[in-house]
Amino acid sequence: MALFTRTTKNLILKIDEFFDNVELGLLVFREGVKSYINKDMEAFERHLFKVDTLEGNADKLQREIENEMITHSILPQHREDVTRLIDELDEIIDTVKSSLNEISIEMPEIPDVLNKDLVSLANTSANSGEELIPAARAYFKAPYTVREKLLKVYYFESETDKISRNIRKRVFREMKEIDLAHKNHLRYIIHHIENISDQAQKAADLLSGMAIKILL
Amino acid sequence: MILFFLTSGLFLGWSLGANDASNVFGSAVGSKMVSFRKAAIIASIAVILGAVLQGAGASGTLGKLGSVNAIGGSFTLALAAAVTVYMMTKFSLPVSTTQAIVGAIIGWNLFTGNRTDPGTLTKIIATWISGPVLGAVFAILLYMLIKKIKKSAKLHLVIFESYLKTGLIIAGAFGAYSLGANNIANVMGVFLPAFSLQEIDLRLFSLSSDQQLFLLGGIAIAVGIITYSRRVMETVGSNIVELTSEAALVVVLAQSLVLFMFSSTGLSDILVKIGLSPIPLVPVSSSQVIVGCVIGIGLYKGARNINFRLLGEICMGWFATPVISGLLAFFSLFFMKNIFNIEVGYKTAYGMPRADAMAGIAGEGISHIIKYLLLGILIAGSILILYYYFLERKKTRELRASEEKFWRNLK
Repeated sequence: MALFTRTTKNLILKIDEFFDNVELGLLVFREGVKSYINKDMEAFERHLFKVDTLEGNADKLQREIENEMITHSILPQHREDVTRLIDELDEIIDTVKSSLNEISIEMPEIPDVLNKDLVSLANTSANSGEELIPAARAYFKAPYTVREKLLKVYYFESETDKISRNIRKRVFREMKEIDLAHKNHLRYIIHHIENISDQAQKAADLLSGMAIKILL
Repeated sequence: MILFFLTSGLFLGWSLGANDASNVFGSAVGSKMVSFRKAAIIASIAVILGAVLQGAGASGTLGKLGSVNAIGGSFTLALAAAVTVYMMTKFSLPVSTTQAIVGAIIGWNLFTGNRTDPGTLTKIIATWISGPVLGAVFAILLYMLIKKIKKSAKLHLVIFESYLKTGLIIAGAFGAYSLGANNIANVMGVFLPAFSLQEIDLRLFSLSSDQQLFLLGGIAIAVGIITYSRRVMETVGSNIVELTSEAALVVVLAQSLVLFMFSSTGLSDILVKIGLSPIPLVPVSSSQVIVGCVIGIGLYKGARNINFRLLGEICMGWFATPVISGLLAFFSLFFMKNIFNIEVGYKTAYGMPRADAMAGIAGEGISHIIKYLLLGILIAGSILILYYYFLERKKTRELRASEEKFWRNLK
């Protein structure tokens, strides 16, 4: 029985640690974009390294959680759903890492007039992902509160869409001084940042269904 | 020869183990919460304990219905019941060992000209109906309780599920114990009046004649569980768990409580002591009680469509099984007596105690066999449990090593 309790506690700790990693990853992403826009490359590289470590940890934890659930027959009825949820959350931190990596490799030239908008886009997109974490934690402890927590995810996702649309409109309609290649590059970077909130929405849809299923 | 006569009862026990173990552990195994191996070991031990320690209650009632006083008769009745169960299962008709054996006993009464006690018969039939109804009531109450606990305790899903898993194992063990206590009467009840075995004294405990027969029956049920219940547990069992895991626990627990209630002399005595009427100690069908429990949960959840076809099938089982088994027993007894010239029983004055001189003589040899069988089982069981424990440990160690190797290689 002692071994049984230890396994269960270990799994809970690992799930919590996984959520912490994703949450921290989003926080570092926000700071990373900010430092790039402020042209503080040293801080940016530090954030990039941090995200890389967090993503690696999340991958390891994901594998361990899935292994433990199977080998110790934990959550047999919800295992598939929990595995999918963790996959979706891992996709978010993967997207965070790849977005920062794209910026680091391609070093996009951000016009000063867009600085504020891009910081706001990164903030809102990261917010959408961050609001998902309390909802995911609630699924395990208070599933009846999941859906109300998810409302914020959907709100920030739609806000991200609006900000992204406005920036692209501005880039393509108003900024005549930059060439088409540059515009396309900016669109590509915007799309990468926006992708985080899209991933969060996808995970929120899954979580919403899971919450209904567990309450039935 | 005496042992040969027991084979029909042992066959009935085997088929009971193969089919009915899924009612207690099917939900746990079907949902992969408990491995089949673990479930089979727990169920086998619990079913034997239930049969030996608490099997007398329900068997007594069957004895009152018809005290089969010749071993040829006991053999024929158990065979008729077993064939009825087998045939009806083959044609996918709902069947219960309990109803088959009751029908066979009535067939014996008719053949030998013994009186069927209407009071006992009414008591038995009333229990068949009240079993599923009580199952439904228990299921609703337990389901309400578990839902309340879940909401107020605010447990982490992983912890809640691990409690459920432990609960399913404990409830399954309790269910198997109750199944052994209640349904052993179906398997060995008809042999009791015809057998008088020498008491076995094992220093720590002693086994009476009836308990020795229950032990044999319990072992037959356990063999049925180990050899043939896997597929039934994994297929039929998973139908039950289409409910949630907490509903599965409730169903097993409610069913176990009903079976325990109808076989516990202690509980019945307590009720008498506080001035209430005693509980009728009657073998009930575990499958039908399970259906009652599932319907109970469905009603609580507000299901609009109750499966009337399933209810109709149960009602049909109440009539069809005893009638078929009774007719089969009647004609089989006729053949046994007139063609094979085997004594199948004789008319006794109502209320006379059981007696059979022939079985008393042969009993000594059987008691010795049972004594050595028991010792063998204890030794083999201990070895098996130790082997299982070390196998599990080895598996966990290998898995951990492979995981460490994977991450080392990745670095």
